[in-house]
Amino acid sequence: MPSHPLRVAVVCSSNQNRSMEAHNILSKRGFDVRSFGTGSHVKLPGPAPDKPNVYDFKTTYEQMYNDLVRKDKELYTQNGILHMLDRNKRIKSKPERFQSCKEKFDLVITYLNSREQETLQPVHVINVDIQDNHEEATLGAFLICELCQCIQHTDDMENEIDELLQEFEDKSNRPFLHTVCFY
Amino acid sequence: KCPYKDNVMRFSLPFQVVELLNQAALTSTDEKLIMLKQVCILIVLKLLLDTLLVVFSIFVIRNMLVFSNFAVLFFSKSDNELLLRLVANLNMLLKDESVNVVKKAILTFTQLYKATLQWLVRSKAVSDMQDACWELVTQMKRDVLALLDSENDGVRTHAIKFTESLIITLSPRTSDSDVPKRQEGDISLDKVPRDHCYIRYDVLCEEGKTALEKLLKFMVHPAISSINLTTALGSLATIARQRPMFMSEVVQAYETLHANLPPTLAKSQVSSVRKNLKLHLVAVLKHPCSLEFQGQISTLLLDLGMPQSEITRSTPAPREQRKRPR
Repeated sequence: MPSHPLRVAVVCSSNQNRSMEAHNILSKRGFDVRSFGTGSHVKLPGPAPDKPNVYDFKTTYEQMYNDLVRKDKELYTQNGILHMLDRNKRIKSKPERFQSCKEKFDLVITYLNSREQETLQPVHVINVDIQDNHEEATLGAFLICELCQCIQHTDDMENEIDELLQEFEDKSNRPFLHTVCFY
Repeated sequence: KCPYKDNVMRFSLPFQVVELLNQAALTSTDEKLIMLKQVCILIVLKLLLDTLLVVFSIFVIRNMLVFSNFAVLFFSKSDNELLLRLVANLNMLLKDESVNVVKKAILTFTQLYKATLQWLVRSKAVSDMQDACWELVTQMKRDVLALLDSENDGVRTHAIKFTESLIITLSPRTSDSDVPKRQEGDISLDKVPRDHCYIRYDVLCEEGKTALEKLLKFMVHPAISSINLTTALGSLATIARQRPMFMSEVVQAYETLHANLPPTLAKSQVSSVRKNLKLHLVAVLKHPCSLEFQGQISTLLLDLGMPQSEITRSTPAPREQRKRPR
């Protein structure tokens, strides 16, 4: 087992649904986890597909919640957005952008690296295909959690991760794209 | 120059021991005994310090991931003997039985190699100690390169990154080099004087080229792991951008790989490798020196499924011909 708990970053576009679901489950299971979005703005569904609610990364989950209650409480209760925001604000105050994060991780679930390399310390990046809806996010979060638990229990993560991912692919019937970047 | 160096010298143990022995030679028996006792205490202290230094350097390497700045700062303020001993300790850690220690030792050595070269090139004085230090560092460089054949996937990944850094250090930076901000102060071959007494410019240049050949050979191994391949692909892009004189070899290697992907890769690994290849080809294409290779790179990118419009967007405009002075 590695000498320290696995430092995991879970990343999706808006740091609302998929990454927060995984953040929730992973932190309950004792992982050192942080979640992020990579988009330029935070987007939530609106009254029509072409009318999303757009916020910047400085807006807190609480502010978004109040804004949507004011706009159309019924609609956003029905589609689960208010429930999601309520869950999110219990985890942390606002979404975070991955590009602004200076911290280093052992494992990043979904994202593309653009940071300049300095120490050449490797970070393994795994992209799991998860659709952006509540059911898939929940299934995905459990899958990611199981994967992290398996990785945490390897004797030599870098030497065993390849085989482990192949097993997960077969089991879950989803492709896992795996690459390595360097800090 | 370290502002405390003179004071450090005055209070250094060997200096004090010599002083005491000199004084003892000139004094009465009683005082002589007291002085010799003091010498004994100092020598024991020195032995203790040596042990502590070993413990300290092992602690540093085991616990610190960012060693570079620390190492440079530390060596610039310390003496040759200390550097040699630290290097020797690191040499032991490179052979440690724990893979995690070996990997950290490689990361540290990657920075230390540059720091030592920079330090030796700058220092005017010649000493056996420096010569020995450089010889040891050169031997360690060979050992880390040999780790490209390690049985452990992670160790090989680290060895690839060392090879990348070595190739960049041991080749000259030119006006076409795309140097990342953080590496602007790094040593490279063009800063090595051609008349240095024990660091030979030509030898280093050859060593850099051999390292590139080694990396290219490593890449075409039919059973290469997906992560090693991904790492090597990225290293080649870094090399092509920072040392465009090697762009031809890099593009050639990308072409060969695209035509012969290792048969051992699983389906999703092939997707990952192809995705990476695309990413790195675009990075090379964006470099102003890619002009000569734009045809080859575009063909590869089209094959990898990139639309022509996107390729055109990543292709730099040909540079204006420089006006020749009349």
